[in-house]
Amino acid sequence: MPLDTSSYTLALLRLDGRRWNELRRITAQISTTPSADGSSYLEMGNTKVLCTVSGPIEGQGTRERDRADIRVEIGVAGFSGVDRKRVGRGDKRIAELQSTLQNTFASSLLTTLFPHSLININLHVLSQDGSLLAALLNASTLALIDAGIPMLNYITACTAGSTSSYSSNDEAADPLLDLNSAEEQELPFLTVATLGGGDEVAVLVCETRVQLGRVEGMLAVGVDGCKQIREILDGVVRESGKKVLQSRV
Amino acid sequence: MPREVGPSLNERQFFQQALKEKIRIDGRNFEDFRQVQLEFGDEYGVSDVRLGKTRVLTKISAEVTTPYPDRPFDGLFTITTALSPMTLPSFSVSGPPSETEILLSRLLEKTIRRSGALDTESLCLLAGKSCFSVRADVHILSADGNLVDAACFGVVSALRHFRRNDISVSGEEVTVYTLREREGVPLSLLHYPLCVTFSFYTPAPGEEEMVLVDATQLEEHTRDGSCTIGMNKHGEVCQIAKLGGAPTDAVMLLQCANVALQHVLKLSKIMDEKLAEDTKKRDKGGMRAELSAENARITE
Repeated sequence: MPLDTSSYTLALLRLDGRRWNELRRITAQISTTPSADGSSYLEMGNTKVLCTVSGPIEGQGTRERDRADIRVEIGVAGFSGVDRKRVGRGDKRIAELQSTLQNTFASSLLTTLFPHSLININLHVLSQDGSLLAALLNASTLALIDAGIPMLNYITACTAGSTSSYSSNDEAADPLLDLNSAEEQELPFLTVATLGGGDEVAVLVCETRVQLGRVEGMLAVGVDGCKQIREILDGVVRESGKKVLQSRV
Repeated sequence: MPREVGPSLNERQFFQQALKEKIRIDGRNFEDFRQVQLEFGDEYGVSDVRLGKTRVLTKISAEVTTPYPDRPFDGLFTITTALSPMTLPSFSVSGPPSETEILLSRLLEKTIRRSGALDTESLCLLAGKSCFSVRADVHILSADGNLVDAACFGVVSALRHFRRNDISVSGEEVTVYTLREREGVPLSLLHYPLCVTFSFYTPAPGEEEMVLVDATQLEEHTRDGSCTIGMNKHGEVCQIAKLGGAPTDAVMLLQCANVALQHVLKLSKIMDEKLAEDTKKRDKGGMRAELSAENARITE
């Protein structure tokens, strides 16, 4: 189904009524699974991800000696996409996502405080509607904060794209923030994650062909979106902290 | 399966000290590639790429098969990578593919397959019934860092070099001619994507971050982060993969993309030159003009 972009040129509104720089509705909760050390549930629009963290726990035969090992496992539910599809564990795309998350958090968590240990991050994707890697990174950040694992700063991520599809090649293409799956299938986009909402990019993944000139715009919009998401997630963490303190009193 | 042994403490410290003094161990500049050598085999579709001590052999093969039912107008194109214990003892043939192999295979897939370098519609013979299945087998013979760039260069040059069997379709029947009956037909490639990998080093907090292009094995082991950018010579970015690692300044990444374009242009030129050389070698006694099916254009 070709994306009907005529609404964009007429009213500067996307199919779901957002403007170019508006994020989808992001809701998150932490401490959703009391049995795990840390847990979170995150919704970015219709993309829903559940995350549990256990660690630091004793690591058997861990790779690194002087720091904690991070293991990530992602399970995608068969009902998460439009068609029911059973995704096996050996899928290379999932393996790449796991590897990305592992490398990202290995740099942002203070793993040298826990030598010979293991931190397990388990993610379940319940519904996919674009921005999958971004949602996984954000949910993991929240769960790691809930587990109390020390880190340099939040790792927040979002997607950014470009309005016209590749072929039209016009310089007046606007960058878009936070794409849903219909937009991701048609338009070039990238996923960017920053450390602490600043300008330092931890993850940058672009899998679509795009003119080099447009990458700068998309990256700038993406980095700004990450800053907004950091504020939202920080609010969630502080709310949760307040509730814990109030229940103690 | 033994674990991969990283560099010794001495080597690590030597490398980091040299880096602080802006010296690279093999004497290159920070943005220089190693010497690239490209050779083609006697058979069409075989390319041997040497990037310093890294050596990658790629073979392209094509056979007629049935297309996927949900894509009746597209042919099939797969890229398989083989990392054997011959390169490094830590790679094993049996057992699950290692992380290096998965990432290499994914990067090649994204750069070459997903970006549509090979026009799969041109591989279709009879819609829904038969099509060509092109297969690229990448064999890493020697690993000294930067397998991705070398493998990508190898696959693209092998694809350009390959000649598939000529076919003729009459009604519902497809006749496939052998290479002896009719000259092979080159594959329909829309663009030639190449990869450039950057490695990032933060020597100490507060100090300026350093970027190296085309890292050797030692440089790869000691890096803090890396980013692979796949581009073609028209300035289109086919993929960017900075999969975690230490955070890097966004402006630095954009600068890397510009540097990548320069390298891709250079590498494309090397590929063009080598292909032209190979064509000349095969064009014994000017037979190419005789064998070509194109009509001479007569303008009155």
